Amino acid sequence: MTVILWSLRRVLAALVTLIGVSVLIFASVRLMPGDYTDLVLGPLATEAQRAQAVAASGLDAPIVEQYFRWVGGVLTGDLGYSFVSNVSVSEEFAARLPVTATIAAITIVVTLVIGIPLGFASALRSGGSAGAAGKLLSALGISLPEFLLAGLLVFAVSTLGLGLSVGQFAPFAVDPGRFFGSLVLPIVVLSVGCVAVVARNTRDAVLNVLVEPHVQAAVARGETPLSIVRHHVLRNAAAPILTIVGALVAVLLGGTVIVEFVFNVPGMGSYLQTALGRRDYAIIQAAVLLAAMVFILAALVVDLVSNALDPRLRLTGGSRR
Amino acid sequence: MRKRTRIGVAIGTVALLTATGCSAASAPAPAATSEEVAPGFLAVADSAAPAGGELVVQVDYDTAEASGLDPQGAATARSWMLEGLVYETLTTIDENLEVAPGLATSWETASDTEYVFTLADDAVFSNGRAMTADDVVGSIQRLIDNPVTWTGQLGPVASVAATGAGEVTVTLSEPYTPFLAALANTPAAILPMSEIASGEVDITQEMLGTGPLVASAHRQDEQWTFVPNEHHPDAADLGFSSLTIDIVGDEATRAAALRDGSADLAILNSTDSAALLTSASDVRVATQRNTDFHYLMINSIGGDPALTDEGVRFAINSAIDRATINDLVFGGSASASGVTPVSLPDSCDPADLPSADRDLAAATSAIDAVGGLELDLLVYTDEPVLAQIAQVIQQNLAEIGVDVSIEQLDYATYSGRVYSDPSDFDLALSWFAGYADPAMVTTWWSPALAGFSSVYMSGSPELDELIATGASAQPGDDRADAFAQLCSLADEQSEMVPLVLRPSIIGWNTGSLSPSISSDEGYGDVLRRITEFRAG
Repeated sequence: MTVILWSLRRVLAALVTLIGVSVLIFASVRLMPGDYTDLVLGPLATEAQRAQAVAASGLDAPIVEQYFRWVGGVLTGDLGYSFVSNVSVSEEFAARLPVTATIAAITIVVTLVIGIPLGFASALRSGGSAGAAGKLLSALGISLPEFLLAGLLVFAVSTLGLGLSVGQFAPFAVDPGRFFGSLVLPIVVLSVGCVAVVARNTRDAVLNVLVEPHVQAAVARGETPLSIVRHHVLRNAAAPILTIVGALVAVLLGGTVIVEFVFNVPGMGSYLQTALGRRDYAIIQAAVLLAAMVFILAALVVDLVSNALDPRLRLTGGSRR
Repeated sequence: MRKRTRIGVAIGTVALLTATGCSAASAPAPAATSEEVAPGFLAVADSAAPAGGELVVQVDYDTAEASGLDPQGAATARSWMLEGLVYETLTTIDENLEVAPGLATSWETASDTEYVFTLADDAVFSNGRAMTADDVVGSIQRLIDNPVTWTGQLGPVASVAATGAGEVTVTLSEPYTPFLAALANTPAAILPMSEIASGEVDITQEMLGTGPLVASAHRQDEQWTFVPNEHHPDAADLGFSSLTIDIVGDEATRAAALRDGSADLAILNSTDSAALLTSASDVRVATQRNTDFHYLMINSIGGDPALTDEGVRFAINSAIDRATINDLVFGGSASASGVTPVSLPDSCDPADLPSADRDLAAATSAIDAVGGLELDLLVYTDEPVLAQIAQVIQQNLAEIGVDVSIEQLDYATYSGRVYSDPSDFDLALSWFAGYADPAMVTTWWSPALAGFSSVYMSGSPELDELIATGASAQPGDDRADAFAQLCSLADEQSEMVPLVLRPSIIGWNTGSLSPSISSDEGYGDVLRRITEFRAG
């Protein structure tokens, strides 16, 4: 199979997945118990008020028509309007996505810079105490709930100071210093888990490569550890590491709900969280679709890059084993 | 050593926070105070305190109304509070929950049904136009012509007319005692009617009132910014340069903001927060009594078939220990209440209710007669104390042979199960706003009038009659007697069971803010006395 044909098939599969996901998102949102009119009008509202609110939000149209209206809007860049604020969802995304993207980007950089070397070190010293310590730290980092760490940091920072504040967010254009200052704690919380995940996966990937015959042969030939890593391990371990990093990018960009909520950062996660509570369909649908698109795109990019690094993947449909 | 102790405290605190919601049975006594610094006040602004700074207030959620920013469509206490910064009403409520002059400097009642209001001559909308009698007439007429929740609370208004320069007369079709109290809430605000009529202002998108502040920016669920209304009589004396309302969903984050000084005042939800803030020397946490109260719905229509039996419902009602709820959930800062909020004049005494005896043997017998009961109890997660109240009820009902499983739901799911037709629950907890007149909340006990309760309760003609009597009776013994009968009958029928009052927990930074906060509140308006606040 040629590279171009293989890549086209991957892109086509991604598009089909996206269409399926859009149906699932739309159906799931509408199947959620309770609806927006109950929430914004309250139990005291009259039937006439409810009917008026339903008509005003377009929810009185047949469900299929609502779906195609939504998809049509998305294709033309119209993500709809919030039922509550009547503000364009696209406009809100434009304000909030950069916040989440900044958190995600810095977290990924921190994760790569710390997690991959940590994973390599842990694998290369897997028999010793350093390897065991790395394994233990990874397990701890993965198991530590974000809300717990975030709550601890909120209290610690407000008690000890440390030059940070939980309520200091300001848009980048207004005050870059406060903008980045307000992102420090969310990034710390997210990085702990991401570093642990990447370190653990890197360790496993490297250990898998280290037992390959060609690596054993290199060891027998007397190649130095550095040479073995550079020539035999890095390239072969890259695909699984890339896969997990791609997934992290997608998760982080899709919305970091807990940290944004706890640290009061107005990003995509807190926006989605509030919308979910109010059943604000336009926001929920758009935010989840965006997350799905990022996820599918990240998986596609990982596939293509992995393929470039290891052409054997093309022959096995993406799996080497 | 000190640092280590602090970190230890931090870890312990997080553990405590994590446990919140499942610790009712062992909840510590709160550190929030309800001690008055002056009669009727938890705090009185010091006129000598520094002023002119930016005032930052953190609240847990934003307004969310289908009618946007139109104050007449405001259905929740949060909307009343925030929109009340911009709008003013003919009457207001003083620190004793008594009706006081607002935009109407005085009024005369020629009869039980006629009210003649004299309007303030210095009321000016923030666009610089003076308020007129036509604005008052138009605002009340608009509320009547476009029925919203508050229209019902306004009572039987037959006519409203300008009867002189700066004078408006309202005639009721029958006596309605809560009328003046109903005029005191934000939905009855006086609107700029000529600007609305001309289309100059879309009142659902832009607020334009005579209040002390003007909303200069708003991002839904994120932040409000208010600046002084330069035309307001108190503008020159306002103790701050701007007011920012931050919407911060997480309770611990609001508490942290008080501690680190990034918020001057914050609304808290849990009495535990006060305990968490005891180490912050410049933070004061106070409990403001509200006329609001928590109540239990016992679904006699769509719930367990046994709940159609009044005896079974009463058994459940009488097994609930209000004193324990008050002690464990509210640290003793609340009080048991009947249908009429206990803190208002003429209200019924909860100790006189039939269920107050807590005859557990009789209750057990009633439950045994139906072979025991397994019931679900729905609470929503936005209001953490509901889960704690539910735990106490669960323990109380276990004593009489009722096995209760608590379901914690997000509000949308809760709302769908409780208020949809058919309803889908056995027991559910919620709260009612108590307002400032004991007759106002009684309406909700009539499914015919309330509407929303008709899917889970039947009510009765006798109860409806007592509700009507209470609304028309003049304050005094007769009215107190009507309320006592109403409370007793509702208690016996046990379809909606009042439990305890629902206080507001307010924290503020004493180093940066000198506020005025009354001890009691009827409309959830913590910022009612914002013009007296001084922020340095």
